[in-house]
Amino acid sequence: MRREECAVETIKLEKTYKNGVKALKGVSFCIRVGEIFSLLGPNGAGKTTTVKILSTLIKPSGGTAYVGGYNVVEESSKVRKIIGIVPQDLTADDEMTGYDNVYVQARLHGLSRNEAKKKTEEVLEFMGLLEAANRKARTYSGGMRKRLEIAMSLVHSPRLLFLDEPTLGLDVQSRRHLWDLIRKLKMEGTTILLTTHYMEEADALSDRIAIIDLGKVVALGSPEELKARLGGDRIYIKPVLNQDLISIKERLERKGYEVSILNGEVIVKVKKAEDSLFDIINLLRDSKISSLRISKPNLEDVFLELTGRKLRDEEPLDSFRYRIHSMRVRR
Amino acid sequence: MMRATLVLLVRELKKWFGRKPVLVMSLLTPVLWIALFGKSLNLTNMLMPPGSLEGISPEMMKILEEMVTARLIELFGTTDYFTYISSGMLVVFAVFQGMFSGISIIFDKRLGYMDRLLVAPIPRLSIWLSKILAVAVRVTLLSLLLLAVSLLLGMNLKEGIGVIDLLASWSYIVLLAMTIASLYALLSFYADNQEIVFAAGNLLNLPLMFTSSAMFPVEQMPDWLQKLASANPVTFAADLVRYHLIGRPVGDYTAELVKLVVIALVMLVVSGWASLRWMNNR
Repeated sequence: MRREECAVETIKLEKTYKNGVKALKGVSFCIRVGEIFSLLGPNGAGKTTTVKILSTLIKPSGGTAYVGGYNVVEESSKVRKIIGIVPQDLTADDEMTGYDNVYVQARLHGLSRNEAKKKTEEVLEFMGLLEAANRKARTYSGGMRKRLEIAMSLVHSPRLLFLDEPTLGLDVQSRRHLWDLIRKLKMEGTTILLTTHYMEEADALSDRIAIIDLGKVVALGSPEELKARLGGDRIYIKPVLNQDLISIKERLERKGYEVSILNGEVIVKVKKAEDSLFDIINLLRDSKISSLRISKPNLEDVFLELTGRKLRDEEPLDSFRYRIHSMRVRR
Repeated sequence: MMRATLVLLVRELKKWFGRKPVLVMSLLTPVLWIALFGKSLNLTNMLMPPGSLEGISPEMMKILEEMVTARLIELFGTTDYFTYISSGMLVVFAVFQGMFSGISIIFDKRLGYMDRLLVAPIPRLSIWLSKILAVAVRVTLLSLLLLAVSLLLGMNLKEGIGVIDLLASWSYIVLLAMTIASLYALLSFYADNQEIVFAAGNLLNLPLMFTSSAMFPVEQMPDWLQKLASANPVTFAADLVRYHLIGRPVGDYTAELVKLVVIALVMLVVSGWASLRWMNNR
């Protein structure tokens, strides 16, 4: 049963590719209207497969998905009208100008010649590409190309925007610029689905995040909720002499702290490090401490805790596309 | 459907015209073909009685020449092989252009542009159709150029040639080009590697050309080759085009026309259906 408040809803989505790879093993989530929702996970987790199903590029092997209330298999043409998609690969045509790339998309989405011209100029300006509009796409830098992709996806004013690894391979400056653009789009009322394997990106942009691993959603919530699962901050205490580890641990435990020892450090789990720090230093004032550091939980820790693995690159890409992609991005 | 096809067709042509070196080369190719190949392979001169013959009376020489001329007309429908081959070349060139539908599809697929097209709210058949029509437009323009060059180099059109003849020739050339383009489009949707298209081109184009009447008359071929030629759409197109352009008689006009149209329709339907199937089942 689909729910009204969901801009996107997936119910036990499964996908097994023809080569036997099980990319999705029952993915369910709901993206609320107007929010930025992230799929966070390592390469190969099933993020791109999910986006491809939601954008009607491929069909699920099991389960159902609704986009804007439309079934992605049975009403695919209606879905295509209301979504914009920025694929992971750069898909603009190298041999066409930036303007033509966007204009063709506008026309394919049913805009009349005049509307298409107007919207193309508008969206190129919004993306900061108006000056480069009449240059061929192959002369664009990596950041410009990505912005061109977004311009191509926005020209028909979609209600929903899917961004698949939008900042992959971009430099820090381009990445920040893109983040600002994504926030601006949200302010204008666009619902955004973002996939990423950068935890800072998910953390900085998302209203809610689904952590996805090996084709399954392993956790879902706001960044704060997810981090709260780790039970707060950690304080790491390194004594000068290893033999003091036990006595430090016992002293803190007597005061009711949750303490463990790992790699020559005493680790204290606290709700908020700032509130407990003074008390702990006070308790340990006769001990010889070589260093003391605070760790705020991040999504990387959450992922590690949930899966026992790190977010890292694993998936082999189509090597030809990958090289083309790198060539285009590096320019 | 029409509108999306048109938008995509314009894109294809804009890309073709946008790459100046490619455009120049693709325009130059037919010119060189016809100028060099057509003129160097001059069968008419090759068959003439040798000038070194001595002791032959002028009457005898005249008879010899008449014999050769009669044979030439029997084979080529004209005494001028250049006229024969330049009309065949129009058809051969359509075959070679057919490959470009495949190349365009392969690159759209590999560079990700195809994914963009597949998520656009357009009938997916228009993606396929635009590639086929792009070939038709290219062939139209190149054929006009080829014909102009051939005429400059001495091709003789039949006497009293009319607009109908030109239009008919154009339709048969374009129909053949679309048939071949369908074949390559089908291949390219299912292939995941551009080399397959080039390999198929090398494999198919020459046999298609030589098992047809495009370069040499079917009548002088060995039996088995004649059988192949009589099933080859290139033969039908070449025969029909020659009938209209240079007035070479064709065995059974209607039969050849029907065969050409049927092969074209079958190829177009199969290719369109299979391409759509690829796009919808991923």
